[in-house]
Amino acid sequence: MAARWSSENVVVEFRDAQATAMSVDCLGRHAVLSGRRFLYIVNLETPSEAPRKIGRQSKWDVGTVQWNPHKTEAHLFAASSNQRVDLYVWRDGCGEAHTSLQGHTRVISDLDWSWFEPEFLVTSSVDTYIYIWDTRDARKPTVALSAVAGASQVKWNRRNQHCLASSHDGDVRIWDKRKPNTAVEYVAAHLSKIHGLDWHPDNEYILATSSQDNSVRFWDYRQPRKYLNILSCQVPVWKARYTPFSNGLVTVMVPQLRRENSLLLWSTLDLNSPVHAFVGHDDVVLEFQWRPQKEGSKDCQLVTWSRDQTLRIWRVDPQLQKLCANDIVEELMEGLNLTNESEKTLRSQDSEPPLSPSLTVDDSQGQIESLQSGLVSSGRQDSPGLPQTLQQEFSLVNLQIRNVNVEMDALNRTCFVSAHCGANQVRLVVKFPAQYPNNAAPSFQFVPPTTISSSMKTKIQKILTDTSLQKVKRNQNCLEPCVRQLVSCLESDMEDGTNPHVFTNSVTPALPAFPRVTNTYGSYQDANIPFPRTSGARFFGTGSLVYFTRPMSMHRTVPPTEPTPRSLSALSAYHSGLMTPMKMRSESQATLRLYSGSPTRTDKEHVSISSFYYKERKSRRWKGKREGTDYSNRAIKLAGKVIIQEISCLLPIHKALAETYVLNVNDIQDTCQKNAAAALAVGRRDLAKVWALASAATNLDLCPDSDPDADTPWARHPFGRKLLATLVEHYSQMSDVQSLAMLCSVFRGQGIPQDYFMLYGPRSSGFTLHHSRYPSYTSSSVTSGSCSSTSDSTTTTMWNTTGRDSEQAPPWGESSPDDYRYANQLYPDPREREKEQHDMNKRLLDPANTLQFDDFKKCYGEILYRWGLKEKRAEVLKFVSCPPEPHKGIEFGVYCCHCRSQARGTQCAVCKRFTFQCAICHVAVRGSSNFCLSCGHGGHTSHMMEWFRSQEVCPTGCGCHCLLQSTF
Amino acid sequence: MGKEFFEHVSVINTVDTSHEDMIHDAQMDYYGTRLATCSSDRSVKIFDVKNGGQILVADLRGHEGPVWQVAWAHPTYGNILASCSYDRKVIIWKEENGTWDKMYKHTGHNSSVNSICWGPYEFGLILACGSSDGAISILTYTGDGQWDIKKINNAHTIGCNAVSWAPAVVPGSLIDQPTGQKPNYLKRFVSGGCDNLVKLWKEEDGQWKEDQKLEAHSDWVRDVGWAPSIGLPTSTIASCSQDGRVFIWTCDDPAGNTWTAKLLHKFNDVVWHVSWSITGNILAVSGGDNKVTLWKESVDGQWACISDVNKGQGAVSSITDGQQNEQ
Repeated sequence: MAARWSSENVVVEFRDAQATAMSVDCLGRHAVLSGRRFLYIVNLETPSEAPRKIGRQSKWDVGTVQWNPHKTEAHLFAASSNQRVDLYVWRDGCGEAHTSLQGHTRVISDLDWSWFEPEFLVTSSVDTYIYIWDTRDARKPTVALSAVAGASQVKWNRRNQHCLASSHDGDVRIWDKRKPNTAVEYVAAHLSKIHGLDWHPDNEYILATSSQDNSVRFWDYRQPRKYLNILSCQVPVWKARYTPFSNGLVTVMVPQLRRENSLLLWSTLDLNSPVHAFVGHDDVVLEFQWRPQKEGSKDCQLVTWSRDQTLRIWRVDPQLQKLCANDIVEELMEGLNLTNESEKTLRSQDSEPPLSPSLTVDDSQGQIESLQSGLVSSGRQDSPGLPQTLQQEFSLVNLQIRNVNVEMDALNRTCFVSAHCGANQVRLVVKFPAQYPNNAAPSFQFVPPTTISSSMKTKIQKILTDTSLQKVKRNQNCLEPCVRQLVSCLESDMEDGTNPHVFTNSVTPALPAFPRVTNTYGSYQDANIPFPRTSGARFFGTGSLVYFTRPMSMHRTVPPTEPTPRSLSALSAYHSGLMTPMKMRSESQATLRLYSGSPTRTDKEHVSISSFYYKERKSRRWKGKREGTDYSNRAIKLAGKVIIQEISCLLPIHKALAETYVLNVNDIQDTCQKNAAAALAVGRRDLAKVWALASAATNLDLCPDSDPDADTPWARHPFGRKLLATLVEHYSQMSDVQSLAMLCSVFRGQGIPQDYFMLYGPRSSGFTLHHSRYPSYTSSSVTSGSCSSTSDSTTTTMWNTTGRDSEQAPPWGESSPDDYRYANQLYPDPREREKEQHDMNKRLLDPANTLQFDDFKKCYGEILYRWGLKEKRAEVLKFVSCPPEPHKGIEFGVYCCHCRSQARGTQCAVCKRFTFQCAICHVAVRGSSNFCLSCGHGGHTSHMMEWFRSQEVCPTGCGCHCLLQSTF
Repeated sequence: MGKEFFEHVSVINTVDTSHEDMIHDAQMDYYGTRLATCSSDRSVKIFDVKNGGQILVADLRGHEGPVWQVAWAHPTYGNILASCSYDRKVIIWKEENGTWDKMYKHTGHNSSVNSICWGPYEFGLILACGSSDGAISILTYTGDGQWDIKKINNAHTIGCNAVSWAPAVVPGSLIDQPTGQKPNYLKRFVSGGCDNLVKLWKEEDGQWKEDQKLEAHSDWVRDVGWAPSIGLPTSTIASCSQDGRVFIWTCDDPAGNTWTAKLLHKFNDVVWHVSWSITGNILAVSGGDNKVTLWKESVDGQWACISDVNKGQGAVSSITDGQQNEQ
């Protein structure tokens, strides 16, 4: 029985080892302890014998040490030291380093031998690379995985020889060594740094991660977005590893106090409470490994190395192993019940309270005591650490419970719990025995002014005893669970009957799985959220830049090799300080402050992005303590200035040019000369020459003959269209939209002689509005916001038909010369056709690109608008061959009169019926229609015309004076 | 030339925002008269910066977490500003009669909304939002205070970090179109996410579909920027990433299927922002190193840094000779 409670059976102290890492070989014969000056090889069969030593010369500690897991290579082990891995051979009682692997440029964080290929070793480093080495060729790694971020852990998959996992801050990447360029899968696993990574021994896809964020998470990497399970702890978890037997897991916590019991065995099937606590080490457990089972033995052995300089071997017997596989609590209790029948009555919570509870309690106490004496005799002999454990529990306990007050007195090992619930008051003295929590439950005693009935007292007493016993059996603290039980008991009693009218606040849940508050950092999704930008620049307008940066006072001092973290979750790590057991000694004070009394992390609210930068500043020692102590951040300005800068000189366009450029269609020559002068004035000599060229090309001497037979038009000359195309290409490359638009305008003006309008005019001449339309129209679309100038166009188109069948009366706006050309492909007369062709040929600008040229002009028009040069803009836009877009701004939207859904055209897309009816004949309107913009009624144009010839009011009788309202 | 350059690059204004925590975005409106900033202090502020002044016009409170980004809508639709935050919300603010008020609150995301971008005005009021829940939502104003919401779920595994609209003109397709026809504007935008991908999306028959997937980055893509069009047949996109790289993607193919990447530069730290000048030939890049650099493509197609806007000093400290006005 006793063996179950203390399974530690070997303790060996190596006082001077100062070892930082430990490894057990695959045969279970040796353990290597790596100190700074020596590597100690401990024979696990006879651990108390003096270990053999291998000397080493390095100023660096060994980071990781690992024996080769293959029996054929069992004499080999690898030890990393700063940037190097040394391979040691251990044979016949002596060993030496025979090879070293060098390639990493910064400290190696982890190494792992392949489970499948005895020669292969993987190393990870903060230099962001993960190298896979073939130890037969030590010169360079055979595979390099570039992770961009530094890795803290790397582990080979135990089932798939190509697969490995690495951890980077809070993320896990899964790699296939055959695809070294990029990770196969990516798991944003934790809120903050991952300390431990372990593959499931049997399942290829499952792994466990342990993190600074106080949790162990289980993942199937095929579903990277959601963990399979979570083990929430109160403290950061240093390592979590699967056990060789099924469903077990061993964790080591990052202890907040030196003497904490941090080595726990869990069942992965029930993560509510550990199966077992390995009690014994006086200091941080640095490493734990399973010693391979000897043949015929059913026991497993856990070998641990602690900073207390002891190596311990713990036996995990089949019963304990079985606990991991089954429902632990029941199993545990069954075991107990075999020896103690009274335990059973005490255990059964839902049964009626026993008649003499105090007796039962005493009884069981006695039993526990006896159990414990056995434990003490064979297990831990030292007890000085215990009071500290209680003190620690007091400091860590979260008693933010409504209506409860707890006074803790660690010296006298007592605490007073006062609770009031409605009219009831309870005061309870809790006394903690010396061995608590090592399987010794505290006693509970009601003291005045307790007001509850005696039956209630009995009931509570029983519950508290039950709760505490459950906990202490696993060496766990029980104060907080007991207090919570007390409150819920009191409250449920209130609700049950005595006072149904009083509403009580339910007990605060122990620890919400996820913070409910979304307004502070610390949500569980932070790992997916990118680290906020703290500087940035945006172009705006035509040539201005607005940018913001961090204030000068806030600098990062980390070396540039350490990039800004990727995700927001990094913040919490920076905030709480990256704590590893190694750092504990120096940081224990700070740590205590951070964690003590606030497991709920009320300090989360202070986590701000600024703390990342601020933190780093604080770490600059020479800055002194002034800022360091001022945590409120008030002293330092967190928001930098926003600077608006003019950088238009960098752009190829010039406002000055825009102001002086002219566009006179009637005198192209003059236009070109003036523009050349303007370009010269702003220092654009290239443009001056271009304008000179333009002047030459548009010379009247070169004006093409209207007769196709007369001459080859100038446009066909190399200096004609080709030259212009080259110019356009050049300025396109420079993105000089200003020059492009101007050139296109001028040459368009040139290419279209006066008779152009005669030739192409018939349609447009019928619409006098054609020319005036551009300025007004475009101002509505481009100017954005100020739609005032659109009134004229609106009125003209107001009663335009909504029948959109394009074959009937196409909107005049859509006509263009090219349209005309295409529309008339089938000229009956070849003369006509030839003439048409000639008209195309004599144009200097390639008509095929007309739309692109229009875009230049429209884009330049937009820029001119932003410059406030609206007239200039209008001038340019006159040369746009087709409208910027169909008159979208005044198109009617129609709601289907049957189903009220928005429809385009005459048929509703949803209900397939005609969308509107004529107000007069009540027949669906398909063709030309007119509507009143005020009341929305209308119908067939002919009907409307007829009606309004004699009437003024709407035909539907709605009372609208359509003619007046709509300026018909 | 350098001398002349220095004379022209000038700080017009320096605005002290008085935010209580770090600033995450600053954007000017269309006319360059108003500045909107947002911060970890959960507020959005609007300043009138006309004529070098700085008057606080509005201090918009409504977000319950740090505000990551702001975006001005095109002024055709009034003075409208959108903001997105860690609190999973997008708020659209509107000025009416001189006071700013919430116009709409979009709560359709399950995680931090990291990026917002208004579409080209030709499409009406349309806003794309990228969130850490991996989805992109597209909000379209349908009038009467109603917004139509379309959501692309799982647009980026793990999360979407940036969205940017394509200009309404699709130059590639314009060239081949029979001239004179109404240009068939295609709604398109680009997004970047934690799957290290840049993705292009287009609307077809009212549904958003993934059009292209651009792969080059080796870490989270932090920003994407679709260059404005000046009428050239090439589409250009800039993307930047946690890996420090900035890529320029170009597509000459009218169908928009062939995109080629060119590495602009590899920075030593994360790159957070890319922004194009109106002419689409200068790119402003900023990142974790707290610096702003301007880049320009030379005639031979190489990208060169033309200036290094120093932090806080507002001066251009270095310029590559002969980059400017190379004529």
